[in-house]
Amino acid sequence: MSLAVLMFIVLAIVLIGLLAWAVRPPKKLLLSVDDVFAALSEERHYARLPQILQSLREEDTEFLFGSGHAPLAGRLRAERKQIALQYLTYLEEEYQLLLEASRILAKLAPEVIPMDEFERFRRNVRFVLCCRYLRGRLRLGLPPWGAFGILSDMEGEMTLRLEMTTARLGERAALASESPLFLENRRGDSE
Amino acid sequence: MAEPRHFLNVAWALTTLLEVVLLAYLLRRKLYRTHPAFFLYVLMVILQSLVQQSCSWYWGSDSLPYWTISWGSQAVVICARWFAVVEIARRAMAMYMGIWGMVSRILIGVSALVLAYSIAVSERQWTLGVLNADRSLELCISAFIVCLFLFARYYRMPMNELERRIAVGFCLYSCAWVINDSIYESWRGSFGHLWDYINIFAFFGSLLLWIGAARKYSELPNVTAPNPLPAERYGELSRELNSRLHLLNNRLDHLLHSEDSRL
Repeated sequence: MSLAVLMFIVLAIVLIGLLAWAVRPPKKLLLSVDDVFAALSEERHYARLPQILQSLREEDTEFLFGSGHAPLAGRLRAERKQIALQYLTYLEEEYQLLLEASRILAKLAPEVIPMDEFERFRRNVRFVLCCRYLRGRLRLGLPPWGAFGILSDMEGEMTLRLEMTTARLGERAALASESPLFLENRRGDSE
Repeated sequence: MAEPRHFLNVAWALTTLLEVVLLAYLLRRKLYRTHPAFFLYVLMVILQSLVQQSCSWYWGSDSLPYWTISWGSQAVVICARWFAVVEIARRAMAMYMGIWGMVSRILIGVSALVLAYSIAVSERQWTLGVLNADRSLELCISAFIVCLFLFARYYRMPMNELERRIAVGFCLYSCAWVINDSIYESWRGSFGHLWDYINIFAFFGSLLLWIGAARKYSELPNVTAPNPLPAERYGELSRELNSRLHLLNNRLDHLLHSEDSRL
């Protein structure tokens, strides 16, 4: 059997595997438009980032070691590490919520830009990998500074992109309200 | 291409029977109105079976006319399958104008790439030309369907159960064809009728899947298409989201600046 023929069989098996993965029901419950907007209005977890970063700094517990309270300092660091891990979980949830909002916007948008969508997908993969890396570092007791910065930057960029998209949608909506037949015509075209 | 003899005759008769049952369900549920391409495909598959069997009786299954007509009808059936697959993609996504505009272009691009790859790496033997063309098209169809499902999953697009099952059936059947053609190319004759069996069983499975979906079609409520937001509500939500995002963005800016100053 030649390599090319073998590749065809492998490709077919890979496609069956991907199909099996893709048709599984999604893990999370689908959010409605109102759910997403309600969740967006709540207090965000990333607002706690400065305190988390501060608590993970070694200097913060140095004085306890210096004054002979090593066990207390160790316990404090372990507890703070747990808090940081919990924070990371919330951060991930928030990012997923923003992604969910961006998906809903994409569904509503009369046109989407493929490069933007690809970029968002790429960033999502990076964010998930970064979260796992950071979680691993925290569990191993390594300083997580750089990765935390990357994650908060990514979430910020996602928010900016959402704002740009909603601005575009807002413009279209304004146009539609000025000319009510506009959307009706588009809807008619799509049918 | 199923060659109807001995046990294969039974399998062929059984698949034909299932095709007719499926057609009956499609007619009973009036699915020819909503899924005309799929209906046409099933009709063509039944016609192909009848034509092949007639040719086999008349000329014999090893004759050139039988071979020509069989593969010719297969080309027509593959085209019909393509239309049915495109119909499913359109029904699943066309209601989201923006996403459909992007996804349709990507799906066409992926299909063209897979087709080009398949043609490029296939052996340059004229005797295998038809087989290679068939395999390329089948791989193309399965890649198209898998990409469609991946996009639907990523964007959380609800898919009608009937369409989901039709697409899964098509994909599995096309993948089985790719494997079959590859086995046949490498070990012509060595496996006897294994080639036919795999193919028939794959189609048998797909038919059962489709019949199940068509049977339940009226019992299960259709996935409700998300209503396009009215212009007023749409504008209201956009403004609301904008203001909330603006608030969040300001907070994040503040946060990032304070972090920068400390690190």
